[in-house]
Amino acid sequence: MSVTASPAFLWNVERGEAEAAELWDAITEQQLADWEAEWIPELFKALQRLRRAGVPRQAWPQSRHWDWRKKTAALTGMLAHPSFSIVCRGLTQGMMIVDNTTKRGRLADQAGKNLVYVEYVENAPWNRKELFDPPRYRGIGSLLMRAAIEASRHEGFKGRIGLHSLPQADAFYAKTCGMTDLGVDPDPNYSPMHYFEMTQEQAEAFVAKGGKS
Amino acid sequence: MRIEVTKDWCVRMAELEADEEIGVGLVAVDPVFDGESLAQSEEPAVAFGRFVSLMRRNRGLSVEKLADEADVDVVELLSIEEVAQYKPEVRTVYQLANFFALPRATLLQVAGLTLPKDSRIIEESVRFAARSEPVEALTKEERSALETFVSVLSEDKDKDHSLG
Repeated sequence: MSVTASPAFLWNVERGEAEAAELWDAITEQQLADWEAEWIPELFKALQRLRRAGVPRQAWPQSRHWDWRKKTAALTGMLAHPSFSIVCRGLTQGMMIVDNTTKRGRLADQAGKNLVYVEYVENAPWNRKELFDPPRYRGIGSLLMRAAIEASRHEGFKGRIGLHSLPQADAFYAKTCGMTDLGVDPDPNYSPMHYFEMTQEQAEAFVAKGGKS
Repeated sequence: MRIEVTKDWCVRMAELEADEEIGVGLVAVDPVFDGESLAQSEEPAVAFGRFVSLMRRNRGLSVEKLADEADVDVVELLSIEEVAQYKPEVRTVYQLANFFALPRATLLQVAGLTLPKDSRIIEESVRFAARSEPVEALTKEERSALETFVSVLSEDKDKDHSLG
């Protein structure tokens, strides 16, 4: 598999300066290895810390397992779709998987038109403020959204994007990305997630927000 | 697909994005406890308990002390050392790997919690378990602990008889 690595930058929070990174147009074995060896243990430790903060140790569900298998199987099951990742200091900092064939627009202005549907976006645990404060890097979400817009343009979809946001990420997609919130999806499989859509104009506005690109 | 972005664009967008959450899709949901485990090996992890026991004794730690220092449950640690068929918690293996400074993925294989990627690990595990089976006589402390425990068991046995 040939991978194109585009130069990019992330904001190093601790140092207060931009740091060179790469935007890859793939999720490779390297990303999956990082996921298994770096993300999962860090996520586990962070979630455990949170649990400990408010729950006495005796009350932890010691005899039960975390559902890593479901998450891992779901992730690898989606890898037939186009994917993107961000690498900085040799480590995967964020991942995205998209579907550019099966989904259509729901907004009245673009109902039925092709779009790039973002299946999955996740930040490395150490870049998530609710898990690690302060987080290590900022800007992963914006770079991945930019990649989704460019993928949409590449397909001739003019920047149209659709996605189901996690409840805690609604603000990012509504405000920072300027997408239209179509509310809770009536499909119970997605409840309570909101469905967001980006139009061609919103995509242009998003890219313009960062100044000259 | 090459994507052209400038440093200024990245910095400006990172500033706007700040510390917002960005997760999308069901797969991005953080895992929860659900009673399921990883794809496990069907083979009993014969070497894992022995290995943990020797690593612990090599550092001069009691089971209780290791449980405390590695932040794992003492009952589970005892089960690991004493019951070959016992499947430990993933978290516990991670904690022990961290404590002993060993690769987590490899230790998960030795513990039988993930399917072995390298058959050599399993062969070496079996060899290790066979070689590390104690053959020497009991130490003074072991004999003392054993005799004390036997005497407690004997008391219970006498009690059973007297009740019966």
